Amino acid sequence: MSTAFGLKRAQTFFWDLITAPEGVRPGFEAMLRRVEAGPSDLDQLIEGDERLPAADRLDIYANMYFYRLLDCLREDYPRLFEACGPDRFHNLVTDYLLRHPSEHPSLRHLGSRLPAFLENHPLGRECPVLADLARLEWTRADLFDAADAAPLTREELARLPQETAGSVRFALVPAFALLRLAHDAPRLWTEMKERAKAQAAGEGAGAEPDGHEIHSGAGMAAETCRLHAEGPAVDLPRFPRRDTAVRVWRRGFVVYHRAIDAEEADGLELLGAGEPLARIAQRLAAGRSAARATERFGRVFQGWIDDGLLAGQTESD
Amino acid sequence: MPADHTARRPPFLGHGVGLRRDHFERVLSGPTRIDWFEIISENFMAAGGKPLDVLGRMRDRYPLVMHGVSLSIGSTDPLDERYLDDLVRLAERVQPAWISDHLCWTSVGGHQAHDLLPLPYTEEALGHVVARVQRVQERLGRPIALENVSSYVAYRHSQVPEWEFLAEVSRRAGCGILLDVNNIYVSARNHGFDPNAYLEGVPQDAVWQFHLAGHSDKGLYLLDTHDHPVADPVWDLYAAAVRRFGATSTLIEWDDRIPAFDRLEAESERARAIHGAILAEAAPAVVA
Repeated sequence: MSTAFGLKRAQTFFWDLITAPEGVRPGFEAMLRRVEAGPSDLDQLIEGDERLPAADRLDIYANMYFYRLLDCLREDYPRLFEACGPDRFHNLVTDYLLRHPSEHPSLRHLGSRLPAFLENHPLGRECPVLADLARLEWTRADLFDAADAAPLTREELARLPQETAGSVRFALVPAFALLRLAHDAPRLWTEMKERAKAQAAGEGAGAEPDGHEIHSGAGMAAETCRLHAEGPAVDLPRFPRRDTAVRVWRRGFVVYHRAIDAEEADGLELLGAGEPLARIAQRLAAGRSAARATERFGRVFQGWIDDGLLAGQTESD
Repeated sequence: MPADHTARRPPFLGHGVGLRRDHFERVLSGPTRIDWFEIISENFMAAGGKPLDVLGRMRDRYPLVMHGVSLSIGSTDPLDERYLDDLVRLAERVQPAWISDHLCWTSVGGHQAHDLLPLPYTEEALGHVVARVQRVQERLGRPIALENVSSYVAYRHSQVPEWEFLAEVSRRAGCGILLDVNNIYVSARNHGFDPNAYLEGVPQDAVWQFHLAGHSDKGLYLLDTHDHPVADPVWDLYAAAVRRFGATSTLIEWDDRIPAFDRLEAESERARAIHGAILAEAAPAVVA
């Protein structure tokens, strides 16, 4: 057999055409200008006819490539989508996919670099809280299927000898993350959730689902096309800069988050780094009287136990 | 000596549907009219949480089949070893009746299309795919089945029709065939070939499973959307497929605008009725 297109060249050419941001025909013309393809290459590779020329056939794949990934990112970032509005989100995703095409076989990882990308994107510079909102949403999505671990219970804690408690080190459960944001994204998230809830109640809709179907069995998903509908203009949220620590965790199958003060965040960071309980208590006590420090430590630590953040004891000195 | 992974037709499981998140609670909360379920492998390659919990409970109740979308068996990229590790781990957890993916490519240059892109049907592609199927089967310690995809393009330099290519991959690599009846119909309409010629071109003993799904008519072409009931011409083609291939595990896929579970059960029951009627027709001839 002798063909102009070996398998690798055929796949590379196909890929370049279906991912050209301006579409297959303009993408092909750009390749001709760059002398990366010959004028007859497209028709030599793909059979076309009067009904559907070769470029139109490839356009089917090109559209589905983009809208499938757009749909996936919309599922991972529902609040970001709502905050941006469909048009800005569409443009953001276009830029993101050009910079970060998917490199993992699972769509689950597609959005992992969007928060950092958004921070340096014109949209993120215009509305900086969006990158923090994206960080919060990604972390929530990421913990949805993080590894399971049995959390430490009050009863197990009560069995620890009092005299050596200060030297005990605990591990955090795998489905836990600490975020340090530059904006109060949790407040924005809550405001949007409340708004969505009120709207859903008015429309008689049900609760929001946990997680989403990542891959479908279809080569093409029609659902993706619905995103293309023009939406109403959306005013971007205006949130002043405000350092905000957030703990995000999963209990059972439900992901939670809560804004916390800097001392609690430091305490969790120390705990995650393997520091003993005494060192954590010291950080939480900072600037307080002995009585207040004890009360503060007890309340915060009990909150960690009740929320299932601690996986168990790792070692003692 | 390499292990023998020659495809042996697996047992007939009956009539199944693809497991989707919308139906988790319904399926796990009581009896269904479904014999078995197919999971999308990638959706359960998780470290923990609800996906693995659901998987564990499903495994206790139903026979499961793993169906992947990202093996990229026809890609010129190297096989993704991390993906294969995940697939092996998942198979150990699920103990599926069989494992399938698609005869296509989904990635090139390290970039993923997350779409089932068609191959040119050339001798080069054949050798490439066969070697990779053999490698995957070695990793999994069992033969796999490959599914024909819907397509919207055909390559001018293809040397044989798709069904001949599929049959030859199965023969050389010793893998099974997951025959998607809707995909045959969609591609036949898009490319103008006879769908019955496709069925006739596939060896009878290589087919492990049928897929049935709905598609959308876009005017100039049909699109494989899995968001409608199975179309009447596809039911007709399914009947022809049962006539040719005999008792074959059949699965309904529905991935978008997902209806209530009883709608899927009704589609599965329709498949069961067609399958049963044709096998009953054929039975006297077999006896004679």
